[in-house]
Amino acid sequence: MTLWKHEMKMNIKSLLIWSCCIGIVNFGCLLLFENLADTMEQMAKSYSQMGSFSTVLGLDRLSIATMEGFYATELGLIFAIGGAMFAAMTGASMLAKEEEGHTSEFLHTLPFGRRYIIRWKYLAMASAIILFQIIAILWETLGFAIAGEMPEVQEYLLFHGAQFFMQLEVGSVCLLVSAGSRKKQIGTALGLAVLLYVADMMCRIVPDIEKLKYATPYYFSNAADIFTSGKVDCGMLGISVVITVAAFMCAFGVYMRKDLTA
Amino acid sequence: MMMESKNNIRECRGNEADIAIEIRDVTKTYGKHRGISHLSFVVPKGDIFGFLGPNGAGKSTTIRCMLGMLHFQKGEIRILGMDAKKQTREILRKVGYMPSEAMFYPSMKVKDVIRLAVEARKMNCDSEARRICDLLDVDREKRISELSLGNRKKVSIVCAMQHQPELLILDEPTSGLDPLMQEVFFKLVLEQNARGTTCFLSSHVLSEVKRYCKNVAIIKEGELVKLDSVENLLRSGIRQVKVWQGGQERQFTYSGNARELIRELDTMQVDDVLIEEPSLEELFIHYYQEEA
Repeated sequence: MTLWKHEMKMNIKSLLIWSCCIGIVNFGCLLLFENLADTMEQMAKSYSQMGSFSTVLGLDRLSIATMEGFYATELGLIFAIGGAMFAAMTGASMLAKEEEGHTSEFLHTLPFGRRYIIRWKYLAMASAIILFQIIAILWETLGFAIAGEMPEVQEYLLFHGAQFFMQLEVGSVCLLVSAGSRKKQIGTALGLAVLLYVADMMCRIVPDIEKLKYATPYYFSNAADIFTSGKVDCGMLGISVVITVAAFMCAFGVYMRKDLTA
Repeated sequence: MMMESKNNIRECRGNEADIAIEIRDVTKTYGKHRGISHLSFVVPKGDIFGFLGPNGAGKSTTIRCMLGMLHFQKGEIRILGMDAKKQTREILRKVGYMPSEAMFYPSMKVKDVIRLAVEARKMNCDSEARRICDLLDVDREKRISELSLGNRKKVSIVCAMQHQPELLILDEPTSGLDPLMQEVFFKLVLEQNARGTTCFLSSHVLSEVKRYCKNVAIIKEGELVKLDSVENLLRSGIRQVKVWQGGQERQFTYSGNARELIRELDTMQVDDVLIEEPSLEELFIHYYQEEA
């Protein structure tokens, strides 16, 4: 627990900045919705007939003129990309920051051992992702309350549950990158978060690469899909869990065998 | 003309209970690059042991292999009777380490760094930590980012000594410390040693090694070149020879038979000669230099 507490203290600033940024953006958009409701009504029909664009954003299934549709098609996307970027950055820096910041000689000569270190750092990353969710949800809930309209609670919670697994998968893959690096690969991590979103978009538009949906966790955690169907694809969630566990195990293996620089 | 004899590597064996560090035929390479090669030596418990070598000789590599930061390809390291590969965590509980570069988390305060080191060991070292902080004049409320190298070294000393370890591993401990703090530091080292702590000191400051160390190992290009007591090393039979010949002065180190030296000097037809015992610095340079 010592190391977990230490990591949470080290990451608290980044966590608060990211979660409040995403939360406040969504909060602000929710407050704007009421004022834009009439305009949205007029635009909703046009948005639903924009072919691939409508398919990708779910505008062919949900109306942007409703609170639920607006949240699922617009704000859910902000949350997904922002959350994935936060998870990616946290994962990518978790292990490599010790060697980059020359603190590995201090940390690894305390009687923790590498097993303990990687285990508790991973748990700290997962805890940060959970806290990110909670803080952003609090801002969103406040926005819904002031706007006077809530989406369906079950779908809302299902979406955020799926988002947690998506962010954990992205964070775990970036932790694997971190395990093998001596420097924080922030660029790689952010690029990965964006690339996975692009893969989700592409596989929805191009039938030939539909199978790409199994490679990107954005697919099963898509807000429009969840709010439309009322459920999460358990098969794809299972694949996400397998990838998450595999990434962690590989990170563990790499880190245990690695020579650590001072 | 310089005559050199290669020193035999001597292993000191004894009961495992009397040995703090046992390094047996350890080899560590970095791909094609040499780290350390077939390194073997033993540090008895209660010793203040000097570990010397030129830059890039493999001193830090050896220390990091001992502490589990590097994986070595061959050999065995036992610290306080425990296997360095399999029992790293248990070893680190009993070891205090002071690295050459004292780097900590910049946003943390000194007291938080010290507390993290204590909590990692699940011990209560408050009184000892405060005592050492007072002796070294450490400001516990400052952030690490506000500290100079010397002040970070002081924090490193507190973290290494507060839990009264059985083994102290010190890598260039006094670099960055002012002379007064160096005195205080060695007082603390001697205090720990008087309690039974073994001290393993890697240093370039030969006056410290001469003053405080009982035994010393010299490593060069990843291999052990000398292992002996400081006393024996200074009485090694190595001589600094200065000769004057035709108005020109030459100097060389000689290790060998006195009669051979006299014969050589006779053939050189020198005008004058001065034969002295070398200082530890000169001995050190002698072992560091390439063989002629």
